[in-house]
Amino acid sequence: MKKAVLTARNAGLIGCSVCHLLCPATPPGGTAKAAKCPRCGATLHSRKPDSIARTWALVIAACIFYIPANVLPMTTVTSLGMVQSDTIMSGVIYFVQSGSWPIALVIFIASIFVPLVKLFILGYLLLSVQLRSHYRPKDRTRLYLITEAVGRWSMLDIFVVTILVALVNLGALATIQAGPAALHFAAVVVITMVAAMSFDPRLIWDAKEKMHE
Amino acid sequence: MSDQHSMNSDFPEVPAAPVKALGRRFSLVWVVPVVAALIGGWLVVKALTEKGPAITITFKTADGLEAGKTKIKFKDVEIGLIEEVHLGKDLSHVIAKAQLVKEAERFLSENTRFWVVRARVSASALSGLGTVFSGAYIDVDPGKKGKPATSFQGLEEPPIVTTGLPGRHFILESERRGSLEIGAPIYYRQIRVGEVVAYNLSEDGTKIISKIFVNAPYHQFVRSNTRFWSASGVDLKLDASGVTLETESLVSILVGGIAFDTIDSNSGGEQEAAESSIFKLFPNPEAARQKLYSTKNYFVLLFDESVRGLVPGAPVEFRGIPIGQVIDIKSEFDFKRNKIKIPVIAAVEPERISFIGQLPDGVSRETLVDYLVEKGLRAQLRTGNLLTGQLYVALDLFSDAKPAKLVRGGRYGHPEFPTTPTPFEEIGSKVTQLVAKIDKIPIEQIGNDLRDTLQGAKRIANSPELLETVKSLNAAVKELQALTTELRTHTTPEITATLQQVQRSLAAAESSLAADSPQQYRVKAALDEITGSARALRVLTEFLQAHPESLLRGKGSEK
Repeated sequence: MKKAVLTARNAGLIGCSVCHLLCPATPPGGTAKAAKCPRCGATLHSRKPDSIARTWALVIAACIFYIPANVLPMTTVTSLGMVQSDTIMSGVIYFVQSGSWPIALVIFIASIFVPLVKLFILGYLLLSVQLRSHYRPKDRTRLYLITEAVGRWSMLDIFVVTILVALVNLGALATIQAGPAALHFAAVVVITMVAAMSFDPRLIWDAKEKMHE
Repeated sequence: MSDQHSMNSDFPEVPAAPVKALGRRFSLVWVVPVVAALIGGWLVVKALTEKGPAITITFKTADGLEAGKTKIKFKDVEIGLIEEVHLGKDLSHVIAKAQLVKEAERFLSENTRFWVVRARVSASALSGLGTVFSGAYIDVDPGKKGKPATSFQGLEEPPIVTTGLPGRHFILESERRGSLEIGAPIYYRQIRVGEVVAYNLSEDGTKIISKIFVNAPYHQFVRSNTRFWSASGVDLKLDASGVTLETESLVSILVGGIAFDTIDSNSGGEQEAAESSIFKLFPNPEAARQKLYSTKNYFVLLFDESVRGLVPGAPVEFRGIPIGQVIDIKSEFDFKRNKIKIPVIAAVEPERISFIGQLPDGVSRETLVDYLVEKGLRAQLRTGNLLTGQLYVALDLFSDAKPAKLVRGGRYGHPEFPTTPTPFEEIGSKVTQLVAKIDKIPIEQIGNDLRDTLQGAKRIANSPELLETVKSLNAAVKELQALTTELRTHTTPEITATLQQVQRSLAAAESSLAADSPQQYRVKAALDEITGSARALRVLTEFLQAHPESLLRGKGSEK
């Protein structure tokens, strides 16, 4: 068997999350007071507190918001008295039908695929951590990195809507209004980003460490 | 483990940081999914509670209908959306499935009507122009309350009158439709106050029943005694009273129209007509006004003479006041008496004549006509319009008329009214005048004078002097004749001889005067002589003028 890697926790140390100073951790059962970083005064945590619970809560919230974000209309276009409401998916279908494949692809990836993938990845990571899975921790970490990196790009859709609403305001000729889905979609993006941040990827490796102990 | 201690000793000044125990307490982060769940749940509940009834509407065509886009509007408020449009099984119609909002449930009943609002251009109106840009939508008229329904038959044409519109419906009965169209205007004093909603044939096919709608507040002008008449198109009439041209408006020329008025409005006590009251639709305003008199007496007038120029509808006048009209003209041949009679049925409205004073004894309102006939009331044909030769029936009192009676219960079910022949009054008077003038001419005297003259002439012609004169004239003529003969036989040859002699003398004279005649030559020589003498004489005279003394002294010497 592989030799256990020396981690800060194993060494009885806590890395400050702000100034990255390694501090000695009080052994468990000591004072319940939260430790402060002696250098910068930030609260010290060996692992992100309540990481799994928080991430779960946020992932569930994002899942709930994801439904109205896709069912309700994203934009309401009023053009020459003709009112048309579009959901994200109907917009994609519209672009596909009108032959604008690249735009359809961008909207689909940014607005439907990516948020969904993020939710699945986070859910998988949480489950795998809770089940103390040892399955390909390196790849799982990579998944986490992708989730964090790609998360902000989902806001693209919101930006597009915002710009359209601001630009296309020609009175009776044409106006575009943001639909209720925009709010929910923004909530999904923000909550998944926060969820990704609240997840502690070190937990993936903790299971492996525990096994080696 | 030893490593651990050595590590600790490396950072002696760093206080130990406690490893936080993972408490099993409730984390506040769970508020986020709870809130999300609440919002989501609220959305779901809202969607479920706001989901109204799903209905199907059948249309003949799906023109303008688009699944997921075409809206259902009531008073321009969106109350639903067409979700699906597909063909009916027999391909004769289309079925549109629509999702309505919750509120629609309240008014949806079997009386609810749906129709597609598209841009429409008709002779009387232009509507739905907004739909040119926005696309068609479906309009709703909730209708009266009834049994709930979810399946409807869509109207092809928008209904003229919707439930919410204040006003009143009336029903008009007419013999002809004229040029009346659905949507044709209703006029009150030439103001448009309503529309024709529908028309159809009565069940027995004898009349046209038109349904009209008069908008509030004009419906209050429709009273129980209001008259409606057709204002369709142009009404050009040439009758006994001349040419009449009438029209209500340009629109009514195109699509027809109905006008109404309460003509006898001074009575005032008339009630506002109730919803769906039935009225008669008169073909023209005159008819509407004429029929104001409810009581009508029908009479049969038997005429002997030609009724050319008399038509049904021709007026019956009493000294120029129209009191009725001719209804029908028939003709019959009486074999018993070998006579042709022309029965003319006329309707007379006796209410047009007012009577002053008490009725004579034994005369009631019913027998008044009999009384008047006894007094000499007769019917007569008169020329109303010399240009067209239209006739009318005149009623008048003829004191010298032959006594006659009103015969009740005639062949046509109406009393027979006595007639009197057409008087040709004007012609008669002219003839009288002519006769009077002829009378004034002294024909007898002229005749006498003429006879005297002729007698005188005769006397002269037959007198013996005249005969003598003629005889002597005859003798004179004979003598003249003898004279002429004498002249011809004796005188003429002598004259001829004399003329011949003259001719000869003239020839001799001519020869003596010729250029080469000896006389001519001698004359010339003589003339020369004379010229020479004259010259000498002149010289002498000139000399004597210059030398007058030479007369005394002689010529003298030249020296």
